[in-house]
This record gives sequence, C-alpha cells and structure tokens, in this order.
Amino acid sequence: MTESSPQDIYSGTSQALEFPKISFRRMTQLVWKTWPFMRPMLKHIIVLLLVGFLQGIIFAGSLFVAGDIFTNKVLVGEKVQPFQAWAMGLDESYVKEEFEPGTEETDDHDDVESEEPRGLLATLVGLVGIEPVEEEKEDQAEETDADDEANKLTGEQRKVVRDRMIILLAFLSLLGGVMYGVVLPYYGRWVWHNVNQNLRVAMIERAEHLSLRYHSNTRVGDAIFRVYQDSGVIISLLEEGIIGPVSIIYSLVLGLVFIAFFDPLVALVCVLVLVPIVLLVYLFTPRIRRRSLVNRRSYSDLTSRLQESFSAIKVVKVNRAESRILDRFNTDSERALDAALALRLEMVFLGVLVAIVGGVAMLGLEFVMVKWVVEDRETFLGAMVVAFIGFTVWNLGAFNAANSRVEDTAEATRGLTRVWARLQDLFIALERAFFLLDLKPEVDDPENPREFPESIRKISWRNVHFAYTNQRILSGVNLTAEAGTVTAIVGQTGAGKSTLLSMLLRLYDPDEGRVLIEEEDLRDLRIDDIRHNTAIALQRNVLFAATVEENIRYSSVDASREDVEAAARVACADEFIRSLPNGYDTELGERGGKLSTGQRQRLSIARAVVRDTPILILDEPTASLDAATEHQVLANLAQWGRNKVVFIITHRLSTIRNADQIAFLEDGRIVEIGTHAKLLDREDGYYRKFVDAETVGKVAS
Amino acid sequence: MTDMSLDTVDRQVRFDDRIDIDTEITNRESLVIVGRSFKLLSQVKKLFAAKIVLGLNVMVPVLIVPWLGKILVDNVLLQKPFGETDIPYPPFMDPVITWLTGLDPLEIMLRLTLFYVAMLVLIGMRVGGTYAGTFEGGDAASEAENQISGAYSEASGLFGLVEFWVNVRLTQRIANRLRTRLFERMSQLPMTTLDDQRIGDSIYRVLYDAPSVPDVCYQITIRPFYTLLVSLINMYLIKYTYGAVIPEVVWVAWVMLPLAFLFVFPVSGLLRRVNQTKRAAGSATTNSMEEAVNNIDAVQSLGGMEHEVNRFAERSSESFRRERFAMLAWMLILVVGFVVIAIGALYITILITNKIIEGQMTPGDFWVLFGIYYGLSEAAITLGGFWINLQRSVAAVRRVFFFIDYASDEDLAGEQVLEPIRQGVSMDNVEFCYPDGTKALSDINLELSIGELVALVGPTGAGKTSLAYLIPALLKPTSGRVSIDGVDLNEVELDSLRGQVAYVFQEHLLLSETIRENLLLANPGASEQDMVSALETAGCMGFIDRMPDGIDTVLGRSGNTLSVGQQQRLSIARGLVRDARILILDEPTAALDPATENALVDALRRATEGRLVVVIAHRLSTIRRADRIIFLEEGTIRESGTHESMMADEDSHYRRFVELQNE
Repeated sequence: MTESSPQDIYSGTSQALEFPKISFRRMTQLVWKTWPFMRPMLKHIIVLLLVGFLQGIIFAGSLFVAGDIFTNKVLVGEKVQPFQAWAMGLDESYVKEEFEPGTEETDDHDDVESEEPRGLLATLVGLVGIEPVEEEKEDQAEETDADDEANKLTGEQRKVVRDRMIILLAFLSLLGGVMYGVVLPYYGRWVWHNVNQNLRVAMIERAEHLSLRYHSNTRVGDAIFRVYQDSGVIISLLEEGIIGPVSIIYSLVLGLVFIAFFDPLVALVCVLVLVPIVLLVYLFTPRIRRRSLVNRRSYSDLTSRLQESFSAIKVVKVNRAESRILDRFNTDSERALDAALALRLEMVFLGVLVAIVGGVAMLGLEFVMVKWVVEDRETFLGAMVVAFIGFTVWNLGAFNAANSRVEDTAEATRGLTRVWARLQDLFIALERAFFLLDLKPEVDDPENPREFPESIRKISWRNVHFAYTNQRILSGVNLTAEAGTVTAIVGQTGAGKSTLLSMLLRLYDPDEGRVLIEEEDLRDLRIDDIRHNTAIALQRNVLFAATVEENIRYSSVDASREDVEAAARVACADEFIRSLPNGYDTELGERGGKLSTGQRQRLSIARAVVRDTPILILDEPTASLDAATEHQVLANLAQWGRNKVVFIITHRLSTIRNADQIAFLEDGRIVEIGTHAKLLDREDGYYRKFVDAETVGKVAS
Repeated sequence: MTDMSLDTVDRQVRFDDRIDIDTEITNRESLVIVGRSFKLLSQVKKLFAAKIVLGLNVMVPVLIVPWLGKILVDNVLLQKPFGETDIPYPPFMDPVITWLTGLDPLEIMLRLTLFYVAMLVLIGMRVGGTYAGTFEGGDAASEAENQISGAYSEASGLFGLVEFWVNVRLTQRIANRLRTRLFERMSQLPMTTLDDQRIGDSIYRVLYDAPSVPDVCYQITIRPFYTLLVSLINMYLIKYTYGAVIPEVVWVAWVMLPLAFLFVFPVSGLLRRVNQTKRAAGSATTNSMEEAVNNIDAVQSLGGMEHEVNRFAERSSESFRRERFAMLAWMLILVVGFVVIAIGALYITILITNKIIEGQMTPGDFWVLFGIYYGLSEAAITLGGFWINLQRSVAAVRRVFFFIDYASDEDLAGEQVLEPIRQGVSMDNVEFCYPDGTKALSDINLELSIGELVALVGPTGAGKTSLAYLIPALLKPTSGRVSIDGVDLNEVELDSLRGQVAYVFQEHLLLSETIRENLLLANPGASEQDMVSALETAGCMGFIDRMPDGIDTVLGRSGNTLSVGQQQRLSIARGLVRDARILILDEPTAALDPATENALVDALRRATEGRLVVVIAHRLSTIRRADRIIFLEEGTIRESGTHESMMADEDSHYRRFVELQNE
C-alpha cells in the first residue's frame, strides 16, 4: 500500500527511510482525530482537569503556610501570623506584637477571632471529638514568658504550635491522600481506559471492514501491533501528552508567580534560562522522531514475524526449520532492541543536557538567595501578606519556600522536555494508528442504499473485469444464474473461480462491469443486506476457538439448537459431532486440530446452511469428502435448496455432472456454458478436454 | 442446560486458555520462579557487575547531601559557627568541615555552590535520575517495551549516561535471551499441544510476558542491594551522630523495616491473583483480535464483522477492568504503607523539634534527620514491598517458564541418529488417542517400503492424516510401535528423522516471503535448478512466469494473493524440493484440475525410485495408479492391495467406495 513495507527500512540505506515530517499543524490534526473517541468521556475529562487545577493551588498555598510555620515558628521560634493563629486556634500571645494595635485588615481578623475564638482547628477537633488538652498549659506559658523577647515564642508555645499544625496537617493530608492518591488515579484510569476502548474497537471495526485487497497486502501482525501498541498510546497522548504538559505549564506559571512574589529578578532569570533549553530541544526533536520511527517499525516487524511463525508452525516443524526460524526471530529481536536503545539514548542525552543547563541556573539562584538571607534583604511583596505568612524579609522559611519553588521550576522544565521527547515518539505511533483508521474501505456502503430485492430469481455478471495489483484475473465475464438451479463453475487452478463468486459477497468490487441481483447493482445495496442474504462454505475451512455449536451458529446468532442440528444433518456432520466427547459442546482448537479436514468441511457447510439464505455458494467444499459422503451432502443440499440460487466450485466430475448449468472459466472469461451432456458434445471443447483428462487414469486401467 | 451454563462460566474464568489453566501461584512456587530468574543473571555477568559498580555512585548524594544541607541552614543561613552543638559530623565530612571552617557565610556558600555545580555535571546531583520510558498506554504491550528498554539510573549527568547505557543493554540482553529461548521452546511443542495453544496467547507470552524477567532480576538483586546498603549506612549515621542525643530515633529506624514487611506480606497473594487474571484477560484480547484479523475472509463472507467486533470489545473491556483491579490493589497497599510511614514521620518530627526547642539540636539537624528518615522509609517501602512487587512480575514470568518447561518434541525424542533410510516404515499394533480421549487409530499393522507409491484411502475422519503424522513423529502412538529400518521412532533424534521426511499439508501454509525463500525453508541447500524443477513438477511455473518478479515475488499475507490451488501447488513444490527419502502428500490433488493432477501423479511415480511416497487421496484417478492402496475406516485398516485386486473382491469395502465415486 502507500506505506513502504517494513523490510525497506533495513534493506535500504537510512536515506530510503521516509522521514516523518510532522508539522505543528499535523500534530494538532492528530489530536483532533482523537476527539471522537474522547467525546463520550468529555464530562469526566473536564472534571479531571478541574480537580487538577484546584490541587495545584491548594497544594502550593498550604505548603507555603505550613513551611513558614514549621521553619520560622517551630524551628527558629518566631511568632505566628494572625491568620495562622486563627487557623490553629491560638490566642494573641502567639501573634507578633506589631499586630496587636492592628491595621484595618487585622482588625477584621481579630473580630472574626473574637466571634469564633476557638478557630478552625477547634472546630475540627470538636468534629473528631478530642478535647484540646493544652489549653491550661498555654495560659501558664503565656504568663511566665510574658516579658521574654517580644518577637520570640517560648519553648512551650513552639511545641503547642507544632502539635496543632501536625493535627491540622494530618487531617488535611488524610482527606487529600485518599482523594488524590486513590480515588482520582482510579477515576482517571477508568476514564482513559474508556477512551482507549473506543479507539481500539473503532480500529478493529475498520480492519474488519477493509476490503480483502488490503488484507492480502498487509501482514496481520502489523495490524495487531497497531491496534494494541499504537492505540494504547492514545491514552498517553491525552493523559500525559496533553493534560500532563498543561498541568506542568500551569504549575510552572504558578511557580514563577510565587517566585516573583519573593523577587521578580529571580523569576526573570528562570524565564531566560528557557531560551537555551528550547534551543536544545529544537535541535534534538528531528533526531528523536527518526529514531522513533525506526524503533516502532522494527518492533512491528518482529510482531508480524512472530505471528506468522506461530501460524505456520506445522510447516516449520516438518521441515526442521525451527533453528532457521529461531535465527530469524533472534535477528529481528536484536534489531528491535538496538533501535530501542538508539531512541532512548537520544532522549536521555537531551534530558541530561537540559538538566545541566537548568541545574546551573538553579544553583546560581540559590547562591544569590542565600546572600539575601544573610543580608536580611526585604522580599518583594512579603509585606502585603504579612497577616498570613512571615516572609517580609528573606529568612530561613522564605529561602526554603523560594528555593523549593525554583527547584520545582527547574524540575518542571526538565519534565516538559521529557514529555516533549516522548511526545515525538507518541506522534509517530499515532500516525501509524491513524493510518489504519484513515483507510477508506474500498468496498463501502452506498450513500443512498436501495432496498434489497424481496425475492431473488436471477443473478448476473455483466462484462466483469478484475485485477489484483499486478495480475489480471477476470476480463469480461458474463454469467446468469436463476433461482432453483445449481451452477457449477469449472476451470483451471487460478482461473479466478473464487474471485468471481467472492464478488457476490462484495468481498471485491469489479474494476469494470456490474454484478446484479435481479436488476439491482450490488454497489447500490447495503453490504449488510447482501451478506445477510448470501451464505458461503469456504475452501479454507476456518474454525473459531469456540464450541462446535457456536462455530455452526457463527453469524446467525438467532439460530436455535434445533436449527444447528438440522443444518448439521444436511451437511452430514451430525453423526460425527455426536461422537465427539461433548457432542455439540466440544471445544475446538483454533486450528481445529482434532477434526479431520473432511469434518471441518462439513462444519463449514453446516455453517452456511444454518443461515438459510436465498443464495448459497460452495467453494470446493467437498474436495476432502469421500465420494459417499459427498453424494449424500449434495443430495441433501439439492433437497434443501429448492428455491435458492446455488453456486458450486469443484473439480469432481461426479458433482459437476449433476449441475443445471456448467460454466467453464478460462483466461478470465467464460468460454463455455451449458449442461454436462451439451458441453460433452462439443468436439475440441474446453469442457470435453477437461473431462478427458479426468478420466485418463480410467482409460489406462 | 445447567451443565452448559457451568461450562460457559468456567470458560470465562479461564479466558479461553486451554493448556495453561491453573494460574494460582503459591508463595513457594513464586520463590522457585524467583530463583530461576536469578540464575538467568549468570548469562550476563559482566554487564551485571558493571551495573552494580556504576550504581555505587548513588552513595555520594546519600552520604553528603543531608550534611551539606545542615551546613547551609546552620552555618550559612543562621550564621552559626561550626561546632556549636554536641551533634558530631560523621568522619567522612571532616575534610569538608576543615575546608569550610573559619570562612564567613557567603564564602562557605560560594564553595558549596561550586561543589554542587561540579557534582551536577558529573553525576547530576540534585536533578534526579535518568529514565527513558516512552508513553505507556496502560496495557501490557507498551509496558513491556519500557520494561525492556526503559532502564533506570539514580544518577544523571555524564555518569548517568554511561550507567543508563549499561542498564539498557543489561535488561535487553536478559529479556532477549529468555524470549528467544521461549520462542524456541514453543516452536518445539508437540502437535497435540499446538492444536490447543492459541496463537494470540503465544505472541503475548513471547512479547509481553518475557520482558518482566529483567524486572524480577532487578527486584531481587540490585534494588535490595542498594536499599540495604543505603539504609545500613544511614542507620549507622543516626547512631553515630544522634545516638547520644535522641536514642529513640535509632530504634524507630530499626523497627520500620520489619514493620513494613509485616504489613504487606499477607496481601501478596491477592496482588498476585489480580495480576495473573489481568494478564490472562489481556492475552484473550490479543487472541480475539488475532483470530478475527487472521480469518478476515471467513469473517467478512459470513457477515460476522459485527460479531467479531463485539467479541473484541467485550474482551478488551474486560481486560481493562482487570488492569484497573490490579492498579487498585496496588494503590491500597501503597496507602497502608504511606500511613505507617507518616505516623513514624510525625513521631520523629515531634522528637526532633523538642530537642531543637530545648536547644540541644539546631534547625539544620532537622533537615539531616528528616532526610535520613525519608531515605529509610523509602527503603522500608522497598523492602516491605519486595515480595509484593515481585508478584506483579512473577505472574508474568510464570507464564514464560510454563512453556519453557512444557515437554517439547525434543524432550520426548530419543538420541539415536537415523541413518539414511534403506528399507521403510513399519507399524506394529499402533493405537493413537488424542489427549481428550478421542480414539483416532487402533490396531494398525503396516509395512511401507522404499520404492513404493502408497495411497491412503478412506472416508472422511477415518484417521488417514493421523496415520501419516506418525511417520515424521508429529504424533506419537499411545501404544504400539512405529519404526523405520527397525529403529523405534521414540529413540530417534528428530533432526535425523524429519530431515528425511517431506510432508505436504492439507492446509497451505506459506510464509509472506518470496517464493524462493518459501522453498529454501524446506531445503536451504537447494540450487536454482532444484527449485525450478520442483516448481515445474508441481505445475507452478505457469503462473510464476506470469509474475513480475518470478520466483522472487513476495507473497501476500499467508500467500493470499495466490488462489488456493496455486498455494497448494507451491506447497507441493516445497515438499518436492526437499529430496527426502519419504514424501508424504496429504490430499495434494484435491484442489488441482485434472491436467495438473495427472502431471503431478506422473512425477510422483517417477519419484518413487529410491523413495517411499505416501499419498492421501480421494480421487480415483490418483488412487488407482498407486502401487498399493491402504483402505482405512474408523481408525483401522480394512483392506490393502492394488486397485485391481481389491476391485476383484465383490464384497470389499474399497469396491463399494469406488463404485459410489463412479455413480
């Protein structure tokens, strides 16, 4: 197809490798394509996003306050801010003296406090049912240390502050922990699994509906790999590729705002460092993409080979080709592993460079901020929120807070780079996944399908042409078959007999000419209607890993057990099925190993019969049956199919002879048509020669 | 009716598995699995040693960083001189302390910063480790890729790059060796097993289960090694520096490890079970897709698309559900562990702050101690989760070892090398039953000699194919003896046997390679001349000449661009190119037109010189030209002889069989 086959990558030089040009527009297009699969889950995705946003603000805010209380108040012993006192239910002796006379702002707080003296913590404690035991000690402490340094907490007070903070934090983190540690991740996974499910099903649906021409040109394993590996990444695209970066950028901006709160200069430096980092990323992006493509293709190749080896395992065994197949697997596997390493090295190399650039900036800023602490320099906006937090000048707490913000910013940048690198891989994967979804099924429903004819009396091919990619199969076939007749299609191996009849099911459409049911062109009818009215027993006896009954009932779900048994009787299968260990409930292996070919053929026939459709196609279904069984089956079918149009492909004279008309296919055309007797009369006729060849053995004896 | 519904329930639980059904693993079994994984490391000794040595860099930040933090807080930010409290620095910090003593705070900071920068470039200190996982879709397939090639290094910087590289190669090599071995074993499974084994499951095991092995290796060696090393050093440090001031911290540290282990051990069984079912459900999904895509022609022509899509959707959604169960189980365990750790952390915090408030310790000590506690608690989680973590991978690895251990053809075969066959095959009292008890052959006594063209004839299901399978030992008789030149096939080495038998199957299994490669598969030594003559004999040259690339044409999937008849001829050509002593053709002529058939039978007649040719056939035109006809019915030999002799007998089963054919 349009995609170069996997081998091209290895056989050709690296130039032969088509370079994936992914522009930004293409990327957004890809994201857009995932939209239909996300839409059913939209509500949930929005909830996830909102909760994430809230989480960022709440976490950053409470970390700041807690950090201030812990470092500056508990560890160093400074007095608490009014808001903190309120939240922890502390009295005025804990609060910095400069607030006692009060600004207007703090007055309000004091009012609040007096109205509700026990504060937030007390309410919580009350909820839990624990009495605050420290109340008395507190009062004592207040008395004794009254004339200590005005701006320091006493040792006892520091312990009180610490204990209350711990209770408050424990309560909050229990809530937060269950919410963000269990409930949300599970919920998130559920949402993304659903999106993935939507995509997977859409892909398999598409694969099922693609015309056989596509399937005969592509490896099955490739399709499997696409659905499985590549669709899995859609979750990543949304979860980590879109929501992830969005939340990283969000926390980056939030971090920068907080840093600017301490000092805008630091924030500016943080922003400037992004320039060389972006440059690095720009340089590495195309390299990563190229490696990623090689990686995915070689892995896909490995999967296909594996699939094929397992399905052809019998041939491998009898030919003692195990070691050769193993060598091949090994080569493929190592190739895939090398490709994986090459990709990862690019990613890691970029990561290390970005880490070093960002790290140096981070360490430089750390030095500067330490200098400010030593110099007791004022922070930029600390004075404005002094009621909540004690960061007016650079102190231990302020340094910890600001520095950890800077560290977070550096981490966010590294994270963003990582996500970017992985996104390149992701987009390659999506390209491949959507390749399948974008394929138009060659055979597709018409826009305004016509009604399927109610009764079928006539089916005809008119000047039908058909070619595979490089091989002409049919060139101008004309044929008409009527209800109540059996038409035998006869001809050389490879003459196109199966292809001709496949058109009745629209497995292929003719390149030229028309196939008509009554006077309706098949292309004007709905595929489902057509296939609903046509049953086929295939040459290749496909059995599914299910019970005998399920195999017969396949695709005619409403058939009752009685129908199944009746069909089995028509196909002369009832007897041997009953002799199986569990009768109709016997499990069949994928390759139907326990059944002989003839038995499988009879199951195929039963499967076609149980559908009871007006059109029946038998594609060499009796080749592996012995003559007696074949006669019986055909007699049953003739009886059963009195009003149906029956087609049969076969080489057996005994079968052909009884057909109502025989069509001889040669060189893509029907060269002779008529009854057995009529065709035998033609001296030098194709059919006559064919029959003579069949009887050579007989003549010799 | 109740029987049926029971059966369906049973099948759902087993996720279509037929062979590997019993998926419960006991602790003892997982111990064995772990032990076997450990042995795999002996194949990669050098890389493993390199990884261990390189990993030691993790000690640098663990040892130094908390103390540098203490210096930053106490001596720089709070501007205290060195040696103010009674907390001693550990001995390895001495050079650093001497280097910094007597400097003013900003000078200390400058030196610290320069040291940090150097360490940043070298080992990426303070910027985290190196990992290169690609996005995972939350399913086994993409997880597997990261398990193989994601690798991990605690370090970053230049050192981290090297360690990462070594690590990737280490995990890749372990996984590759194992999956190659698994592939090898699975390709040698006995035929009866293969019939029951689903292709999708095989793929899943090789590609997605095998990669869990390096993880098991990592979990049982590198991870606990460093965890223990780091925690022992930390405990020593706590004892050395803080033992005198707050002895309680020391025993809290010691208690943590066993406590964490105690908590999580009981749930390991649960975790193992959810992971086992998760994997089984995943492989059922792969399988339903595999089946649907592989049989696309049948699915489409039977109008089963809806059915297949629904089936896939159902499986896939079940598989996702199982994955979420596994995740939930894991998260609950984490929460329990986290709560235990948090309680410990609170206790430690209270202890330390008391000492700080009382002036025995400085604020800087808090960061040191808390850092160490954090390290220890992580170690506790790691070691406590040791067994549990293993279970996740053990579930996968069990699925790998299951087929590595499964008795294969090779194991059941003998060692005697079969000389070039001179006489032929003989069967004495042979009986064959399938594992489920279906009797396919009984009471078979037969001599087949080199130079004969033998036809196996009989009604469908008479056991013709089973009988033919006995010759290359694709099946082994349940009782009785099959021997070639007097050597019992049970004693024979398989290569020497199958090297002399060419078998053409009823199904035409072609690889999607070139025609040439398909032939070379059967006989790598075949010359161009050999191939062309085999192709001519089988009547292939007619259509091959019409192909653009001739013999080098690449076939489509499973040979689908060829018609079934053409595929059959190619399969026959593949059998002929072998030049084997015994040639078995299972209904070679069923899909051939009479002219091709006659040509083929002529060729087969010529081939009997120095060969035994066995043909399973229904067509009289083929049968009647055989030297001997063996007529099978219901798994036993009814009659044998030439066409004429058997036709002469008025009452023979064969005669009735032929007459029906001629009606």
